Amino acid sequence: MKGTLTVRNIVIAGVLGAVAILLGVTRLGYIPVPTAAGNATIMHIPAIIGGIMQGPIVGAIVGIIFGVSSFLNATVPLFKDPLVAILPRLFIGVVAWVVYVGIRRKSEYLAIGTAAFLGTLTNTVLVLTMAVVRGYMGAEVAWTVAITSGIPEAIVGTIVTLAVVLSWKQIGKGKKSRISED
Amino acid sequence: MASEFELSRNITIGQYVPTGSFIHRLDPRIKLLVFTILVLAIALNTSYVGNALGLLLSIYLFWASKIPVSYGLSGIKPAIPFIIILAVLQLIFQGNVFSGGTVFFEYGFILITSESIRLVIVSAVRFVEIILLSSVLTLSTSTTELTHAIQSLLSPLKKIKFPVHELSLIITIAIRFVPTFAIEMEKMMKAQASRGADFGSGEWWRIIQRTKDMLPIIIPLFNIALSRAEDLILAMESRCYTPGNERSAYSVYKALERDYLVLIIGLLLSLLLLFYPFPF
Repeated sequence: MKGTLTVRNIVIAGVLGAVAILLGVTRLGYIPVPTAAGNATIMHIPAIIGGIMQGPIVGAIVGIIFGVSSFLNATVPLFKDPLVAILPRLFIGVVAWVVYVGIRRKSEYLAIGTAAFLGTLTNTVLVLTMAVVRGYMGAEVAWTVAITSGIPEAIVGTIVTLAVVLSWKQIGKGKKSRISED
Repeated sequence: MASEFELSRNITIGQYVPTGSFIHRLDPRIKLLVFTILVLAIALNTSYVGNALGLLLSIYLFWASKIPVSYGLSGIKPAIPFIIILAVLQLIFQGNVFSGGTVFFEYGFILITSESIRLVIVSAVRFVEIILLSSVLTLSTSTTELTHAIQSLLSPLKKIKFPVHELSLIITIAIRFVPTFAIEMEKMMKAQASRGADFGSGEWWRIIQRTKDMLPIIIPLFNIALSRAEDLILAMESRCYTPGNERSAYSVYKALERDYLVLIIGLLLSLLLLFYPFPF
């Protein structure tokens, strides 16, 4: 895997990881919703952005950082289980990248939007699946959570990701370092 | 009002209580390894006796590291309502899933059995144990030590060309930038508030409103983060940083006899929690 991580990959993964941790510890990453889960989270968005901007490895690394920080800061028993908190988060950025690369040729906007939507759903679905597997909630409760908090979460995720990536593509022109341009 | 904006005060990453105890002086690599195995073992144990043992162990570790248990308990306090809600939900809906044991109560879809009661009690206790264990680790180990420990624990993966050094650099960058971004975010929140912005004070059921309120902070936060990243990339490239090169470290850890002893005790405890058939 030598050479696959450039300076750019390392730094962007680190910085997006910092944003994920920050959203978690300041509680700004949680939007309270009246469901069993208690919160809709936007903390997974750095992982999606990492996947879209720098590829699956960066996406997965940011996902791990998000997972570990949500495990360490958890106030819900569910997320004090490393199998629920960390493992599912690996796939958020990877799914976002696959979707983005698949649709990119058709339309940039559509690709980013779909990647964000499906990336968020990956988080919701995998975490809830693990929660059911590990016996924290029944399948009925999981379905309720998926519908009541998963869908608003996916919409919010799409809007935020689109706004961030598009504004960055504008600002980022001409500021990027020439060496690591890949 | 103003206290709402003091984000940096709430950040407990790198919160380190130097008491110089036995636990503090352990080799960080071994400490991290033992804590990880113990947390996994506790997460997989479903017996009453096993979890009581885990609870005793985590309280003992606080005592041994000379850190007041109140530090660990302060992490549990905000979680109490969640624990109660989850317990009630599990009690009502889980009877059919974990249907073994004696049936105590049955009415419509509500089924309460000795197994579902066990599930409720064990997952609450397990939560307390894991909070206590992970706070002992972070309170007794500095972030630098932790990063070194991660790097050195993952180093066998270098054989399969896994980028161990790069990964630990990423973690260092992430931890390094959290307080910086917190200060930036405080500035932005104050600036927005002085223009009359109102965030997070809407009624809790108005999800979309509360989300929209957050956008003027979250989008600039990402932009600041990414432009800091560009600066750092330039700085690192101009100093000829090349990923994947062989590097040496300033501080080199050497495990002593007592570290190996702790490792063996930790492993035995985890194996006991994982495989011993506790009667209750």
